[in-house]
Amino acid sequence: MSRESMSAAVDSPMRQAAGFCLACWLSALALAALVWASFAYLKIDFAGVFTAESRGYMAKFVVSFFPPNLSPEFLLKTLKGTVETLAISGVGTLIAALAGLALALPASNRYGPAFKEVTRFFLNVLRSVPELVWAVLMVLAAGLGPFAGTLALALHTTGVLGRLFAETLENAPPEPADALTDMGAGASAAFVYGTLPNVMPQLVAYSLYRWEMNIRMAAILGFVGAGGLGQLLYFHLSIFQQAEAATVILAMLILVVLVDGASSYLRRGFVRAGA
Amino acid sequence: MRPAMSFELDHVGLAHANGHRALTGVSLSAGKGERIAIIGPSGAGKTSLIRLIAASLRPTEGRLATLGASPWQLGAGELKALRARIGVIHQSPPIPPRLRVVTAVLAGRLGQWPLWKALASLVYPGDIAGAHAVLAKLDLADRLFDRCDRLSGGQLQRVGVARVLYQKPDLVLADEPVSAMDPALADHAINQLIADATERGATLVASLHAVDLALKWFPRIVGVKAGQIVFDLPPVKIDDVLLRDLYSSEGSILPTQGNEPLTHDLAPGAAEIKRPLCA
Repeated sequence: MSRESMSAAVDSPMRQAAGFCLACWLSALALAALVWASFAYLKIDFAGVFTAESRGYMAKFVVSFFPPNLSPEFLLKTLKGTVETLAISGVGTLIAALAGLALALPASNRYGPAFKEVTRFFLNVLRSVPELVWAVLMVLAAGLGPFAGTLALALHTTGVLGRLFAETLENAPPEPADALTDMGAGASAAFVYGTLPNVMPQLVAYSLYRWEMNIRMAAILGFVGAGGLGQLLYFHLSIFQQAEAATVILAMLILVVLVDGASSYLRRGFVRAGA
Repeated sequence: MRPAMSFELDHVGLAHANGHRALTGVSLSAGKGERIAIIGPSGAGKTSLIRLIAASLRPTEGRLATLGASPWQLGAGELKALRARIGVIHQSPPIPPRLRVVTAVLAGRLGQWPLWKALASLVYPGDIAGAHAVLAKLDLADRLFDRCDRLSGGQLQRVGVARVLYQKPDLVLADEPVSAMDPALADHAINQLIADATERGATLVASLHAVDLALKWFPRIVGVKAGQIVFDLPPVKIDDVLLRDLYSSEGSILPTQGNEPLTHDLAPGAAEIKRPLCA
């Protein structure tokens, strides 16, 4: 190799780095145009946000939430709402975990491709309708209150957990269950002795994680009349009782922090026991 | 098939779906209560042969009968009933790691138990005394309530053996059942399998990697090489030349327990004392 070609080989990456990248520039330009178009379309008046007048309004609005209403009667009302939200998320997630497991069996191809495709489609439908939309539908179908919220959470979460469970079952090693059917065990017995012990930690972890998400969702579902803290918050906000609203928001915050902590503690405990 | 037959293979062959040929023209039969060791180099088809007899793999050609029935002509219910009478011991027991030893052993009777009993036993073990008894035979009773992922490979193999002892099948098929045990334990485990089979009049077929173990305990030795049976003889008829030819693909050293040389054992006279004579 001549000295000339060697030097060319050495600095060719540098030349590449310094080179003009048309695609990069075009992408950046397109992105900038998109951002500008979005602002123009939404007609957001950012200048207005920072005027002294709006700063004053904002301060007044924030101050109006303080102090929160901590009277015993209202605290009791908030506690009832908190328990209701907790119950909605808990029951909704439990129903979804059971229904999800039942649907995951056909969806993981245990009963042939026809059943698999049909259940996968059904799970997709359940999953692609958001909780809030389910809640509106359930309020119409089952009336105002926590029952509608529970159904809404259960329906959407069944779609999510069913899909996750099905994939977990498909990835589970088949040998333990096969060994049991080889010695005359029925399909159900082979499943609970051979497959379930292997996938259980994963199924429980998925369910706990969805419970965490559902507690936040259950707090919001009340806005469409599906019970719990959200319904309380919506009621007091709509009649401009910010002090009461502040108490409810505080309760939501505490509830979410507690549930996140409990869920991760449970998950860690389960994984450690599984190690 | 004669009534006293335990299984009968007539020119059976097996080709896997990927085109790999595992067995060719295998004819082998065993009477009730016989004890047979299958030896041969790795990849010879020992596992495939055992899985065929176990009605776990379907042969691609030839005729096969196990415990008086042709498994692949049976209905689902009859096949299930037949398989409940066959016990298979795997080289690496496919037991979920989270299962407790007691549950893994009790799973041996899933073929006999109704579903409600199987489910109830998951909540509270249905026959702790029974599981304890078979584990005690294998010196593993103290691990009764341990989880299987706390066990070593050799201990897990003993759980697999215990499961089949608890199942009490008419035909015991063991695929390298003691490969992860030390020589003394392996000897003990084989002894227990043979004692159990003898006591119940069950047939025992074991594939073994250690030639000395096979020659010591089994009155009938079947040599398998490249998917075919090359000999089917009592141990007294097996000599150094036969074995060297069987294992020619694995180099000059015969596989034995702890890799102790076998050659001096095969000297006439000295060896015959150790080996059982063909019944």
